[in-house]
Amino acid sequence: MWDTTPVVRFGGGTTPHRKGAQIVAEPRTLSIDDESDEGGLRRSITGRQLFFYTLGDVLGSGIYVLIGLVAAAVGGAFWIAFAVGVSVAAITGTAYAELVTKYPQAAGAALYVNKAFGSKVLTFLVTVSFLSASFAAAGSLAGGFASYFATVWSAPPALLITLLFILFLSIVNFIGITESVVINMVMAFIEIAGLVIVLVIGIWFIAQGDADFGVLTEFDTGDTNWGLAILAGVALSFFAMTGFENTANVAEETIDPHRSFPRSLVGGMITAGVIYVLVSMAAALTVPTDTLADSDAALLEVVRTGILPISSDFMTTLFSIIAMIAITNTTLVAIVTQPRILYGMANEDVVPGMFAKIHPTRRSPWIGLVFSGIVVGVLLVVGTYAPKVEGESLVERLALVTVVFLLFIYALVIVSCLKLRGHDEDDRTFRASTPLLLVGLVGNLSILAWSVYDDPTSLLWCAGLVGVGLVLFLVEYFFGTRTRPAGAERGEPTARSRGGL
Amino acid sequence: MHVVVATDGSQQSLRAAEQLTSFADPTKITDISVVGVIRPLAAVAFADDLAPEERRRADLETGGFRKAAESAVETVAAVFDDWGPKVHKLVRSGSPANEIIKLADQVSAGLVVVAAGGRGISDTVLVGSTAQRVQHYAPCPVLVVRPAPRRRSRK
Repeated sequence: MWDTTPVVRFGGGTTPHRKGAQIVAEPRTLSIDDESDEGGLRRSITGRQLFFYTLGDVLGSGIYVLIGLVAAAVGGAFWIAFAVGVSVAAITGTAYAELVTKYPQAAGAALYVNKAFGSKVLTFLVTVSFLSASFAAAGSLAGGFASYFATVWSAPPALLITLLFILFLSIVNFIGITESVVINMVMAFIEIAGLVIVLVIGIWFIAQGDADFGVLTEFDTGDTNWGLAILAGVALSFFAMTGFENTANVAEETIDPHRSFPRSLVGGMITAGVIYVLVSMAAALTVPTDTLADSDAALLEVVRTGILPISSDFMTTLFSIIAMIAITNTTLVAIVTQPRILYGMANEDVVPGMFAKIHPTRRSPWIGLVFSGIVVGVLLVVGTYAPKVEGESLVERLALVTVVFLLFIYALVIVSCLKLRGHDEDDRTFRASTPLLLVGLVGNLSILAWSVYDDPTSLLWCAGLVGVGLVLFLVEYFFGTRTRPAGAERGEPTARSRGGL
Repeated sequence: MHVVVATDGSQQSLRAAEQLTSFADPTKITDISVVGVIRPLAAVAFADDLAPEERRRADLETGGFRKAAESAVETVAAVFDDWGPKVHKLVRSGSPANEIIKLADQVSAGLVVVAAGGRGISDTVLVGSTAQRVQHYAPCPVLVVRPAPRRRSRK
C-alpha cells in the first residue's frame, strides 16, 4: 500500500533508542532528536516575542483603567506615582529574571518561595494569593472594560457587561485562540497605538503653546502630605504594572532564556514604564485633573478634548475600541493563569483532583476554567452590591485587592531571590543588583503597609479570596484521593505539578 | 517512507499510534517521528494523560510542561518498539497544527497520524481543532484516528 517516497533522513544522528523507564532516571539526556531540528526550533518564543508579550500584558492592565483614580489620589503630579510604581515593579522584575534564569523550568513565585523557605504553609499561601490576585485583577479589568464599553453603547447595565465579558473570555480560552503568539503581538501593537494617540495629542497640545507645565508639579491631596499622597497613587499605579509575572510561565519555551529573558522582561517593563509616565504627563497637561479624577474612562477624556483636528466622535469610538482590546488582552492572560494554577494545585493534592481534568479534545483544564469564571463572576456581583466605602468603585476596590496580594508576593520573591543566592548558579545566571533589590523590597513593603493601613476593608476581600482556596483545600483534605507521587507530601510543589506556573 | 505520529498526551493519541501498527507494513516504513507539541501560552501547555498518575510529578527539579511532553512522546514511541522502523522522538513548541505540518514538510513525510479527540458539540461547533487543520494543510495523506463510537442502548 505504501509507495517508497524519498526520505529525508534526520541529520545523521545515531541517537540510541531508550525506553521510558530510563528516561525518568536521567531526565536531561532524553533521546529526543535534537539534531533533527535544523533551525534550532525546539523552543518557540523569541526574545522579541517575549518583549511584546510582556509589554502587551503590562500595558493593558492599568493605564487604561486606573489613570483617573491615580490622578484623583495625587493631583496633577500623578505621573510621579506612575514613575515610582513602575520602578518598584521593574526592580521586582529583575528578581524574577534572576530566578527564571536559575530555574527556567520551575517558573513561578510559589516555586521560588518553596525553594527558598521550604515551608508548605507559606507556599500554599503564596499560591492562593497569586490565584486570588488573578481573580481580583480579572474582576477589576472587567469593570474597566465595562466603562469603555459604556461610551460606545451605554444601554446595558455595567454588571451584565462585565459578566458577559468574563464568560466570553472563558469560552475563548477554552477554544484556545489565546495561544497564538502572533495574536499577542498584534494586540500589543494595538495597545501601544492607543497610547501613542494620547502622546500625539499631548505633543500637539504642547506645540500649540497652550500647555501649562505647572500642573505637573501640582499636588491636590487635601490635608494629607504629598509623600503619603504619592504612596496612595503608587499603590493604584502598581496595578498598571501587574501581569509581568505571567511571563515566567513561558520561560521554559523561550529561546536562549539566560540571555533573552532578563532583557525582554525588564526591557518590556521599562518600556511600559516610560510610556506610562509620558501618557500620564500628556493626560495631566491636556485635561483638568478633576475631570480625569471623575471619569471612569479617563484616557478617553484626553481624546475628547478635540485637540487633534479629527472628528472627536470618531476618535472617541476608535479609542474606546483600542482600550477594550488592550484590557481584553490582559484579562485573557489572567484567565489563562487561573486554571493553570488550579491545575498545579490539584496535582499536589491541595485542591480537589477535578481541577487537573483536561478536556479530551481541546486539551484545556475546563473545570478550572469554569470555576475561575464563577469566582470572578461572584466577585463582580458582590463588588457591585456590597456597601461602598467612601464611594470607591468596583474597579478601584478590586485593583487594590490585587495589589495587596501581589505586593505580598513580590516582596517574598525578592527575599527568595536573595536567599537563594549562591545556590544553583552558573556563569549564565542573570544577577540582579542587590542594593536595587533591597530598595525594591522596602518599596514593596511600604506600599503594602500603606495600602492596608489606608484601606483595611481590602483585607476583608483578601480574606474572602484566601478563604476560597482554603475551602478547596479542606474539601480535598477530607474527601480527596491521592494524586501526588509516593514520597511527595501534600502541598509539596514540584516543577512538574506546577508545569511552569 | 517517513511517518509523523503526533501526540497531545491524550489516550486517543496513543490509540492512534496503535492503529497505525495494526494495519501498516513496517517494512515499507523507514522512519517514524513521534512529536509532541507544547503550547506555551495555553493554560496547560502540555498534559500527559499517558503517564501513571504517581509518575506525573516524579521529577522534582527538571519538570515542567516540557517534561510532560517528553514523557508522552516516550510512551507513544514505545508502541513502535521492535516494530522495525527507526523511531525519532521530538518535542516542539508552538501551535500544534502548524508544528505538525512543518515537521511533515521538513522530513517529507509520507503520512501523518493524528488523533481526533472528541465527538459531540465541541468538535462540531468549534473550529480550529488540530486534527482538522492538519487534514486541511498537511503536505501528505493524513490518518485521523477517531474515538470509537459510544455504545448506544438499542431499543
